Amino acid sequence: MSEPSFFFSEVNERQGVFNRRVFLMGGLAGGGILALGGRLAQLQLLEFDRYKVMSTANQFNFRISPPPRGLILDRFGVVLAANRPNFRVLMMRDEVSDVGATLESLSQLIPITPERRQQLVKELAHTPRLVPIEVAEDLTWEEFSRINVRAPELPGITADMAEARVYPYGGAFAHVIGYVAKVSDRDLLAAGKSPDPVLHHPGFRIGKQGVEKALDLALRGKAGASKTEVDAQGRVIRKDPAGDVQAVPGKTVVLSLDADVQNRALEVLGAESGACVVMDIRTGDLICMASTPSFDANRFVKGLTGPEYRALADYERRPLLDKALSGTYPPGSTFKPMTALAALESGMIDPEERINCTGQMWFGNRFFHCWKRGGHGSQNMHDAIKNSCDIYFYQTAVKIGPDRIAEVAKAFGLGQTFDIGISGQKPGLVPSTRWKRERYNQPWYPGESLSFGIGQGALSANALQLAVMAARLANGKKALNPRLIKSIGGVETPRGDAAPNLPFQTRHLDLVRAGMAAVANDVTGTAYRASQLGLGPVLMAGKTGTAQVRVISAAERAGGVRSNDSLPWRLRDHALFIAFAPYDDPKYAMSVIVQHGGGGAAVAAPKGREIMRVALLKDADVRARITSPMPLPVVEPIAPGAEQEGEAPSPPSDVIPPPLSLQGVVRP
Amino acid sequence: MTAGGLTRPGERNRLVVKFSEIDWTLALLVCLIAGMGSIMLYSIAGLSWQPWAANHLVRFGLCFALMVVLAMVDLRVWFVSAYPVYAIGLILLLAVEVMGDVSLGAQRWLNLGFVRLQPSEIMKIGLVLALARFYHGLPADEARFSWRLFVPVALIGVPTLLVAHQPDLGTAVLLAATGLSVMMLAGLSLRVVGALALSALAAIPPVVMFVLHDYQRNRILTFLNPEADPSGSGYHIMQSKIALGSGGLLGKGFGLGSQSQLDFLPEKHTDFIFATLAEEFGFVGCVSVLALYLATITIALRIASISHSHFGRLGAAGVTATFALYVLINGAMVMGLAPVVGVPMPMLSFGGTVMLTVMIGFGLVQAVRVHRYSEITSGRGTLV
Repeated sequence: MSEPSFFFSEVNERQGVFNRRVFLMGGLAGGGILALGGRLAQLQLLEFDRYKVMSTANQFNFRISPPPRGLILDRFGVVLAANRPNFRVLMMRDEVSDVGATLESLSQLIPITPERRQQLVKELAHTPRLVPIEVAEDLTWEEFSRINVRAPELPGITADMAEARVYPYGGAFAHVIGYVAKVSDRDLLAAGKSPDPVLHHPGFRIGKQGVEKALDLALRGKAGASKTEVDAQGRVIRKDPAGDVQAVPGKTVVLSLDADVQNRALEVLGAESGACVVMDIRTGDLICMASTPSFDANRFVKGLTGPEYRALADYERRPLLDKALSGTYPPGSTFKPMTALAALESGMIDPEERINCTGQMWFGNRFFHCWKRGGHGSQNMHDAIKNSCDIYFYQTAVKIGPDRIAEVAKAFGLGQTFDIGISGQKPGLVPSTRWKRERYNQPWYPGESLSFGIGQGALSANALQLAVMAARLANGKKALNPRLIKSIGGVETPRGDAAPNLPFQTRHLDLVRAGMAAVANDVTGTAYRASQLGLGPVLMAGKTGTAQVRVISAAERAGGVRSNDSLPWRLRDHALFIAFAPYDDPKYAMSVIVQHGGGGAAVAAPKGREIMRVALLKDADVRARITSPMPLPVVEPIAPGAEQEGEAPSPPSDVIPPPLSLQGVVRP
Repeated sequence: MTAGGLTRPGERNRLVVKFSEIDWTLALLVCLIAGMGSIMLYSIAGLSWQPWAANHLVRFGLCFALMVVLAMVDLRVWFVSAYPVYAIGLILLLAVEVMGDVSLGAQRWLNLGFVRLQPSEIMKIGLVLALARFYHGLPADEARFSWRLFVPVALIGVPTLLVAHQPDLGTAVLLAATGLSVMMLAGLSLRVVGALALSALAAIPPVVMFVLHDYQRNRILTFLNPEADPSGSGYHIMQSKIALGSGGLLGKGFGLGSQSQLDFLPEKHTDFIFATLAEEFGFVGCVSVLALYLATITIALRIASISHSHFGRLGAAGVTATFALYVLINGAMVMGLAPVVGVPMPMLSFGGTVMLTVMIGFGLVQAVRVHRYSEITSGRGTLV
């Protein structure tokens, strides 16, 4: 075993180098493994939460199912907005490898236009990865089954049944209820930082206007989700019912509206541009709130085409505008009860004091005319209201000044908005000296008082305000507030009669009301012919109004004022009418505005009468009065029996309880 | 057995003595790792021995037996067969080049009719043996830096290029790194090592852009920015990191790894088995297994350093380096620190060829230990 010495030294040197290098390599390997350990600590300990979430997101799939949207009913439970089944085809972007080919084979099963296909491709680019896309909806049952049968050959394509919003009355409630439509980017922005995931669901529709928008969250309900465990290919491995989130259906919203009255209003207004608001003066409930012309809300659910939208937006009579809330008009002569009440309250005018109307009066530097050429002759307040004499109110307004009138007008709801649960109200304007100073930095000119006194000039109001005004006049006591939303999910909203009393003397109000009764029931009243309800003892009280929208020159007046029919539509007078009925026991108040309709008595009042008739006929108390035999002399034991006989079979729930005296009789 | 007893002539050549000289700690560690692999494979298959776990155990049993047999083989036999093994490996690589099976998009397998052979695996052993054989006869100063080093460079370069051309980037990198490790162990100037490392780094961008296949380039670009396309080529890395991260400290529990059980994890039974382990047994499980690997490497390197022959030292350390590289590259890949290259976790991943290679390697390490006093007198390697 002996070796030359150089060999040993050589071996030793090599071994020395090797040992150092082995040490180095062991160190490198150890360092490497230590680094791996460090990386593990980073991933598994520090970033655990993040990866845990990602792993869960991989493992579980929450399939969101939108809940059925809450119904919207009228006061009697008539369905105003409901849901209908909607067969759809959805495409999961992740599972479709070739979009073009898939759409091609789909179009052999159901009709897909090339435009729709282009639109889909565009939509695909904007949709988040895991959100399915709606390829087609409203399929027939045959188309739906055809897709279902072929679904296994079309990966990523599913046919399902969803619900779509439907408005059985089409346009009748379009302005009040609004409509639902696809969620827009703006809706998403408005939803805040973490929007409800259901907003991304392809079938989901969000409220865009009216009640649908204002009560969207209540109507929407809570989306359900089914938790499934899926593998990497998206196959469902296991359902996890324990992890399911139950859908909470949207709440039912009951409106105070009456579908019959509303539909009648739509019918009566026809093609006119106008609005009608009817209010129950016992509760403040809005029985009718119509605006014409209207639009079919169902078209908006599907999505309007460009030309459809332009046609609606460009039409002169503006179907998209809610004229009951957003349209403000000069109230014209319907405002005269306000001037009269202000005069009485001021104590400066004796109601029996007579003013002679000659058809015109000189004020400032010009003539002011009465609507009646030749004048009404001698008028006291009652006559002036009945005849709607302008001269009387010119003089009264000048005498008492604008601020007293404005104060009364405001107390009756003009110039303000009401909390009725939906947006869109325009407050209109009640002028005053203070307003003039602040707005124009000018003093109030006495000449302006004249226009103000007959409801023209800067004064403007919407149909809801006029109805509230009529209701407060009729109620005679309370500053009633209107109520549109009767209950949400069974919880009743506060009634409109929980309001303070009007700060006016009852006898003054009675005087004004007597004038309004005369308008409708005195054969010489402006609206006598137009206001006969034909309901026997049930009578209406009202006030017509014809608001000028143009200046009538002296020359024209001399040659005879042009009739409305000869004028272009947009220059015609606004026709207005306010009323309440029955006169002796007021239950309903209303306002009718027909934009550029012509004369209030000729155009607005007959329409008001028709609408009022329906409201009255639906009221059990009123029906009882009409159909009951002549009231018998009050004999103690008979009275309750007679009363019961006359009562309607099923009185609606909101009928006010019988007077205390009657309850006392029933008690033994 | 006393030390005196072992000094008797011929005593060390008795089989019983040789058998007792096997490093049983190392053998146990290897068994533990393979057992762990079997447990994971059982879990991945949905708590079933089929199709992987049983197979894995049987293979390991056979390979373990082979290791013990190889441990008995005299180091001089290893020495003599070094060049032939290398030559056979090289021929097989060329054969694959000419008529290989195309599997997984790469020509890696040679179908010999009864068995599908992966010549690159034979080459891993062959290269280490050939380099050890060469350096055995090389003086220290020449090993440091001399013109004669063109021989090891050629020994490494030829098979590396052939494997890279298959294309099997992972194995090519592994071969080159193994070769370089042996050269370094043999005493290559550290300056040269540094210079080589720097030029390799500098060469990466052009190689990636112009030499690699599309899928290889994509893997590397994806590695640099995995979240750019999480369902495309970044998918593997992303899912592997999710599996690891969601394991947390103690893991989701045996058989409960959602990432692996639900197929989100790619290649979960082979290259990404470590991610399954991490998901089900957490940080604690991972660190334990890494500790087993580190212990194995440490013991094997220690065995290398006590050998009396330079061939034994370099051979044992060389295969250990291969083993360590497997662990580090696979670990880094699974943890998102390296591009996805087809390098399995040794003994843990399912796969016959790699296990065979590794166990042959440990056979060499054990042989070096058993025959640590053997002197191989001649650079030309004559049998005694």
